Amino acid sequence: MPLPVSVENAGGGIMSHMVSGAASGLPRRVVLTGLGVVSSIGIGVDEYTEGIRSGRSGVSPISAFDTEGFAHSNGAEVVGFDPTGWIRNVPVDQLGRASRFATAAARMAVEDAGLVEGELSQRRGMVSIGTTDGEAFEMDGLVGVELAGGPDDFDPVRVRRTPASRLSTAIAQELRLSNVETSTIGTACSAGNYSIGYGFDAVRFGEAEFALCGGADAVCRKTFAGFYRLGTIAPEFCQPFDVNRQGILTGEGAGVLLLESLDSALARGAAIYAEVLGYGLNCDAHHPVAPNQQSVARCIELALENAGVKPSEVDLISAHGTGTKANDICETAAIRDVYGATPPRTVSLKSMLGHTMGAASALAAAACSLAIKHGFIPPTINHVETDPECGIDCVPNVAVEADLKIVQNNGLAFAGNNAVVVLGKYEGDR
Amino acid sequence: MTADRMMITGWSVVSPYGVGRDAFVDGVRDGRLTASDVDTERWQVPDRRASLVPGFDAREVLGKKGTRSMDRVTGLAVTAVGRLIKDAEGNQVVDTGPDTGLVLGTTTGSAQSMMDFTRSTLTAEQPFYVDPSVFPNTTMNCAAGQCAIWYQLKGPNTTIAGGRTAGLTALTYGRRLLRSRRAAKVLVGGVEEYSNARSWLDFHSRGGDDAVLGEGCVVLLMEPADTVGAYGEPLAELLAVETSAYLDNDLRPALKARVDSVLAQAGVDPSQVWAAVASQAPDTTNETERAVLTEIFGAATVNRITTGDLIGDTAAASVSFQIASLLAAAERDPEAAGKVVLVSSVDRSGTTGCAVLRLVGQV
Repeated sequence: MPLPVSVENAGGGIMSHMVSGAASGLPRRVVLTGLGVVSSIGIGVDEYTEGIRSGRSGVSPISAFDTEGFAHSNGAEVVGFDPTGWIRNVPVDQLGRASRFATAAARMAVEDAGLVEGELSQRRGMVSIGTTDGEAFEMDGLVGVELAGGPDDFDPVRVRRTPASRLSTAIAQELRLSNVETSTIGTACSAGNYSIGYGFDAVRFGEAEFALCGGADAVCRKTFAGFYRLGTIAPEFCQPFDVNRQGILTGEGAGVLLLESLDSALARGAAIYAEVLGYGLNCDAHHPVAPNQQSVARCIELALENAGVKPSEVDLISAHGTGTKANDICETAAIRDVYGATPPRTVSLKSMLGHTMGAASALAAAACSLAIKHGFIPPTINHVETDPECGIDCVPNVAVEADLKIVQNNGLAFAGNNAVVVLGKYEGDR
Repeated sequence: MTADRMMITGWSVVSPYGVGRDAFVDGVRDGRLTASDVDTERWQVPDRRASLVPGFDAREVLGKKGTRSMDRVTGLAVTAVGRLIKDAEGNQVVDTGPDTGLVLGTTTGSAQSMMDFTRSTLTAEQPFYVDPSVFPNTTMNCAAGQCAIWYQLKGPNTTIAGGRTAGLTALTYGRRLLRSRRAAKVLVGGVEEYSNARSWLDFHSRGGDDAVLGEGCVVLLMEPADTVGAYGEPLAELLAVETSAYLDNDLRPALKARVDSVLAQAGVDPSQVWAAVASQAPDTTNETERAVLTEIFGAATVNRITTGDLIGDTAAASVSFQIASLLAAAERDPEAAGKVVLVSSVDRSGTTGCAVLRLVGQV
């Protein structure tokens, strides 16, 4: 069904060809041409690629907040990150910790796509960032101020950092994008996939000429304490699918992907990491925190249907794979519901990155794209013995070479918000 | 192009006039102000006056089952969604299930729930002596997720954290879900609660100016024109919606560009717009927004229907309330039938936008 193209899309300029697919009335193919990554195992695409290939662990003792009184407090923090390397236009003190990660990753994605500042500024586009906690790290700090002196003492500059909408608007402001729709999607730990799917639909139907989409979160006391209380924080390492796994490690970072139409990428000679083939969304409507096997399986089916892909064609699954007892059993059972007794190799990036919350499925999507481009499968590290109840090949500890045509990226979340994205190798006409 | 025409075929509201459409329609018809003195026993806030949903208590409205740990914002959303899906006798009148989406605008879920939880880890004897049953309330998608559980909404379930413009983003998101056939119908709206935490954050954020904060939830039922019929006659058509960031605090050109763009997409001349409803934020953006709209539409069109002055700043619910006030007008005013209307919105953190609708009217 053809869609009306915004009148502003009709202008000339370097990317005016981006509207051609929409004008023809067919949904456009959507490709990924830029990646920006801020993570505990590497900042920027090169470090991140090396990290996921070598099975690097991002674990360190948490330093972002006081962990006194907790018996164990490892996390996966971003260390050695200097936001001024990427954030030039917006005063850094106007940005909370998560917005800094998101904004830096967005600039990296634009540069990685071979675009220079100003090239996107007049084009109709989209910025969509998923998150679990928004700027809860900043709100934690305000609670400390409140306890010390009362809410009258709140610093207005700090308060203005707290809206979750800043994660996306800050990117537009930093990159001087005055004609982009911005959205912060607050669907917790699958929010990165939600945003990628949203960008996919906007570009596919010609409503945006490009989309900067992904996810961002910062570690915070609130969420650490909550998961700790639930008994789901691992004492040392995150060991997805291992028979002795003990839970998650809270992590942080941002992953931002630049999506554009295939026509646009070809016309400007951009390097293509991967094609976004489709995605699925659904809701368990079952339990606030526990996943639901049948609903997760249905979401996988929705994503494969949308991508026009049969289960037998999928070469790799990047699992949500939190490393909790409940998630890993439920998720692998859902995978077997769709794929049968021998599903494709199924890895968890969280073994390296910890659980980066709203950034998780975006960072995993970035990893999937790099895996497709460079022909390897990132390992599930910290792995000793696979839980027979999980029953998958999680590519333990060491990356393997593989020609990947189609990869599925799972995102599951509190509130039963499931989102699954399917990526494919770009190989010309299909 | 019928599949791309989106119709609003139902709505529900929990507002400072009370629970339900009748209270809201009567209240806005009479132009009754809802602000009252803040109960300083209950609220420790910098505000003198506020527009609260009168006597709202989730346990009283929804019953004791499933509400023990429910926070205010979730209670408002579950109540409003329930009023849309069920009739007064409790019979389900809108079917749910996998083809029904829910898109809910918020600022940050419940700032109160988030900050309460952090406070408890800082003040308890041990930092992990926190109540696990309220931990899910600290995540922004709690309200939408609870609505799904209450009413078995198994389709796409999306929380948009957008502040004052969240309602426009939710409309855009919902329209895309329908266009891409990821849902056959969507519930789209916004929710905001009044709380100590929100009051203090907003007070410092806006620079300490006086303001009346409001609260509530509005949910619209939106369907593609080609499948309308099962749940009621169309009340309005969404002709166009668009949002953008604005740079350098320079709201004026950004809002003007959005208004021009949505009018062009809708094929509507400014003179055809019967009412342009501003968002009336209690900050410096208010004057600019009003000036832009008045320049384009004239004062009579901007003054015809207002909302924020009646029910206060409902933040993430404000756009949905602006639309609700137009739907309310269409219910009572024969003149409104068939009219083209516009709602605009601004969030001081740097987003603006507007939507154009055509009221169908019931008269």
